[in-house]
Amino acid sequence: MSPRPGFVLEVDRSTPPTMLWHGDGFRQERFPVGTRVVYPPEPVPALADPDAAIRHALEHPVGGSPPLSALLRPGMKLTIAFDDVSLPLPPMRAPDTRERVIGAVLDAAAAGGVDDVVLIAALALHRRMTDDELRHALGSRIFDAFAPHGLLRQHDAEDPDAMVHLGLTDQGEDVEISRRAAESDLLVYVNITLVPMDGGHKSVATGLASYRSIRHHHNVRAMQHSRSFMDRHHSELHSSNWRMGRLIADAGVRIFQIETTLNLDTFPSSFSFLQRREWEWTLRDRAGFHGTRAALERTPPALARQIFHSIRSPHALASVQAGEVEAVHDLTLANLYRQQLVQVEGQSDVLTMGLPYLGPYNVNSVMNPILVSCLGLGYFFNMYRGKPLVREGGVLIISHPTPWAFDPVQHPSYIDFFEQVLAETTDPLEIEAKYEESFATDPWYIHLYRTSHAYHGVHPFYMWYWGAHALQHLGQVIIVGGDRAAVRRMGFKPASTFADAFEMAEDVVGRDPTITHIHNPPVFMSEVT
Amino acid sequence: MRALILERSLGRFAAARAASLLAGSGSGIAVGPLRLTDTEPPEPPGPGWHHVRPRLAGICGSDLSTLDGASSRYFEPIVSFPFVPGHEIVGDVVGGELDGVRVVVEPVLGCLARGIDPPCAACTAGRKGACERLAYGHLRPGLQTGYCADTGGGWSELLVAHESQLRPVPDGLGDEAAVMVEPAACAVHAALAGGVVAGERAVVLGAGTLGLATLAALRHHSLPSAIVVVAKHPVQRELAGALGADQVVAPEELPRAVRRLTGSLAASRSGGLGRLAGGADVVFDCVGSAGSIASSLAVVRAGGRVVLIGMPGSARVDLAPLWQREITLAGAYAYGSEDTPDGPRSTFDLAFELVASAHLERIVSARYPLERYEEAIRHAAAAGRRGAVKVVFDLRRSSRRGWRAAADVEAGS
Amino acid sequence: MSPAGGAPASTKLSPLAARRLVERARSRAGGATRTLSAVVRAPTWPGSVERPVPRRNVGADYDTAWSRTPAARAARAVLVEGVTRPFVRAVAPPTILGADQLDALEGPAIFAANHSSHLDTAIVLSALPARFRRKSVVAAAADYFFDRRWKGDLWSLWLGTIPVERARISRRGADLAAKLIDDGWSLVIYPEGGRSQDGWGQEFHGGAAYLAKRCSVPVVPVHLHGVRPILPKGRNRLRPGRVEVRIGTPLWPLAAAASGREEDARRFAARIEASVAALADEAETDWWSARRRAAAGLTPDPRGPDVAPWRRAWELPDSRRAERPQKPISSWKPW
Repeated sequence: MSPRPGFVLEVDRSTPPTMLWHGDGFRQERFPVGTRVVYPPEPVPALADPDAAIRHALEHPVGGSPPLSALLRPGMKLTIAFDDVSLPLPPMRAPDTRERVIGAVLDAAAAGGVDDVVLIAALALHRRMTDDELRHALGSRIFDAFAPHGLLRQHDAEDPDAMVHLGLTDQGEDVEISRRAAESDLLVYVNITLVPMDGGHKSVATGLASYRSIRHHHNVRAMQHSRSFMDRHHSELHSSNWRMGRLIADAGVRIFQIETTLNLDTFPSSFSFLQRREWEWTLRDRAGFHGTRAALERTPPALARQIFHSIRSPHALASVQAGEVEAVHDLTLANLYRQQLVQVEGQSDVLTMGLPYLGPYNVNSVMNPILVSCLGLGYFFNMYRGKPLVREGGVLIISHPTPWAFDPVQHPSYIDFFEQVLAETTDPLEIEAKYEESFATDPWYIHLYRTSHAYHGVHPFYMWYWGAHALQHLGQVIIVGGDRAAVRRMGFKPASTFADAFEMAEDVVGRDPTITHIHNPPVFMSEVT
Repeated sequence: MRALILERSLGRFAAARAASLLAGSGSGIAVGPLRLTDTEPPEPPGPGWHHVRPRLAGICGSDLSTLDGASSRYFEPIVSFPFVPGHEIVGDVVGGELDGVRVVVEPVLGCLARGIDPPCAACTAGRKGACERLAYGHLRPGLQTGYCADTGGGWSELLVAHESQLRPVPDGLGDEAAVMVEPAACAVHAALAGGVVAGERAVVLGAGTLGLATLAALRHHSLPSAIVVVAKHPVQRELAGALGADQVVAPEELPRAVRRLTGSLAASRSGGLGRLAGGADVVFDCVGSAGSIASSLAVVRAGGRVVLIGMPGSARVDLAPLWQREITLAGAYAYGSEDTPDGPRSTFDLAFELVASAHLERIVSARYPLERYEEAIRHAAAAGRRGAVKVVFDLRRSSRRGWRAAADVEAGS
Repeated sequence: MSPAGGAPASTKLSPLAARRLVERARSRAGGATRTLSAVVRAPTWPGSVERPVPRRNVGADYDTAWSRTPAARAARAVLVEGVTRPFVRAVAPPTILGADQLDALEGPAIFAANHSSHLDTAIVLSALPARFRRKSVVAAAADYFFDRRWKGDLWSLWLGTIPVERARISRRGADLAAKLIDDGWSLVIYPEGGRSQDGWGQEFHGGAAYLAKRCSVPVVPVHLHGVRPILPKGRNRLRPGRVEVRIGTPLWPLAAAASGREEDARRFAARIEASVAALADEAETDWWSARRRAAAGLTPDPRGPDVAPWRRAWELPDSRRAERPQKPISSWKPW
């Protein structure tokens, strides 16, 4: 049976309660009759022989690029950059796609007699990965061959000796990327495109860049001029990255881009109910849901979080393409949309969503309030093509516990941002003007970014900017079941139940509003007409 | 005359101590050593003494710790029992050539008040607060009015004060403002003792009366580039903002706020903030507990100053940072005269100016008659939590008759 | 404080008397402590008296003669049979191939093995037939196994180690080994001079060849397969797994008659190395392929290709691959 596409359900009186995420747990809600629930498509079949598909892609590149083996020769300098721990979500079962792809690239490099090879985790201003995470992403064979010799590196945007300024784009944007990558004879980038924002020129122009360069597209103006930043052709974020990417190519940096997409098989079979439509739940799904929920209610939150973070996703490789960046990315997006796009007709007054325990920036950590905002207002809200699922001036209702909790190792600057900046103002433009630079240049944050496992000092700002388009578009944001103080600190409204939240929403959008609910997991993209 | 009197009763002190340890400050008032009595007013101990009828008398943190039985035994030789507490006093002189003059009492009982001639070196230099003769002369021991058996104190209907203690109140200044002059004088003294120069960064730990007054004094008398105030309660936060704090933070937020403000590094081992590498130039500790002293030492830079304004007692504090970072830890108790760019000036004169310019009368948040002293003390002990800062006894005749049920009326603001 | 009231004064203790009692008790206790510490602590040496230089019984100078007394040998037999062999069977159960090669050997022999793990000695000793096992010594690095007195005691008792210098043949070490071989002891030696750094083999030193020539005993090539993944250099956690021990044909130094002139120690060492390499090839493939390749001079070099470190690691067979220990990262707990 071929996988069914996503579809829009209209809630009627026979509709069973809808399952939704609530952080480290789930809830069930009966939405008002007439509510539209957008369901994701079913997973497309996995590639039968992923390793063969990868080898084929490397030897049959697109966009006029020669095969990889033709680009490798003894004595050359080869750099392989790869996406960091923020992808995919949840972390996938071994072998990770990066392990497969980089293994194939290295086989080719060994056959080509290339001695000078360096691997770089392209983490931009994200936190450094732990050795365990690197070993998981790359596999032991690669890790043990490179790590002991210092050839497995993590991008350090704050090491002035490791960066090189390649020039300014025609719009005056600084392009500064990793010196090793820029000065290599060949830069191979190994990507996982999980959402349409990933990949393309953004891989190198952002992943291997510095704050000086990234600030040109990670800012409030770019976010407010992106409709949305998930739609590469209507995104100022991507326009800027494309300008930079072309400048990097003009500067003589030869990039061999390898992009992959995964299917939407996101959770292991013990959580099968997460990905099945409620009216199709089998006895096993029903027992699984209620059993899990009952168990979670009796589990200390820290332990529940630990259990969730140990989930490894069965994601399977759905497509792989290699060659010249732009040609590759066009194919990648086509493949991704084939899996992820759902047609939705028209906007509604209210948009609801349940947010999970995990976003790109809290792998093995707690989802702090800023990340809740980023995931809801940044990621989920922007997963549209055309126009947002909710009308201008509408209301967004999020379900998440939003605890006032931070991981001091991974998110030190987030704590100060939340305690000191958001206490003052929540306006992204004001925050950007008044505080961004002092956080970005703070020596302590830089020290922790470079030596520990901390996100860069400026990162919480980007997370806040990620929601700028939504903040501008929406009339109100309500968080159901969240920590009241934390929710209010961000300028949102706390509500105890969905019923209360709908009552509050009516004050903004009027009586009997139209409601749309995004059903996840998995995460998908809506095409709103 | 009615007066609140504190007697030396070891049993009652012990009971108050036990109650305050068990149920928090102020909760031992019913079993403690303070009681309301009808007694003879004190007689002037000599020439130059006047009767003063208090209008308002403040309840100070040091009074509360005495009532809790938590005061340091250090004070025993310079206090004489039984005494009427209350050293933040505005009142009217009764009788004599000054009859009817509204005054603030400068409570330190120095050599002049004690009839000691020649006065000690400190008094000669105008530094009354440092007087060496607090237990001598024709008065019984007592460091201030409000701790001396011979003078009476503010928590009564009549006391005696030496003419050197009387500070006439300008006409434009209300009673609520005037009662703030004494704490303001302490704050001015402390702020100047901190020696903050332009561009330095200061932390004020605590936002009770002393903390807020110190903040106001810093804003008035020096040019710090930033003042961070640590406030626990909403009312304190609001007032700290209004009085010119650049940043108001909760106690647990202080190290991070100071780190970011000063761009300092921090040594963290397991992810927490750890020890700051740099820090603030001056910290004014307006709490005086072991915890607050430790916090002060944790956020002051190497070579910086910590000024202790809140009354401390015996405290267990790790002094390793004091030693390694060569921090100056200084006390700031009371007033006398200050060196200003315009030459030496009386601290009280500076305090009068500060109270008027910073509108410190808004800090007075609740007034009680003497009869309701138990409530008053409990309110003062929980001031921040219950939305108040300074709690005072109101002894004005006009208000005596028509006492409204709600005594704790917001004043000022 | 005065003893007023009805109580008889005799039962009361005056403060002064009490203090005296306390002081007396304290001085008595102090005396006992002082005596005890005088017993425990060695006396200090007077500054005016010259100190003799203490005898160094560590490193290559460590004297192992005691470990070959009958009592020590009996103790060692108990340890090897009761601890070492059961331990090896538990964490690295060995399959022994070619033990029949030793049937014809009468006297002592030198066992030359590749070296990748601390477990190697325990495995070799477990694998040797009893007659060799009972009367063998192991050449162990003087700087590692004999750098402390207690370590020398421990290893020479348990494994019968004798100290040798890694790189050069010291007179003392060689004389001791030669004397022991002449006395009928077999010798286990690792000609690589230390454990493998990255899984690939290292060049064979000439010690085994020299001793074989000097004492006219055969060298038995031994190859250990699959030990590194269990306990590689640089890790201290065991990951149990199966191993294979291959015993090759004993090699005699070629006499002058065979080649026209006598084979020197260096050439003999190369022959030993080639022989171990052929056993390694056999472990990866099969006996017949390995033989044919050895005959054609195509045996893969156990020292690996001379290319960039990552490519050496990349081409390492799985049987020699081992996960390195994690670099220490901050011991953070995210929750």
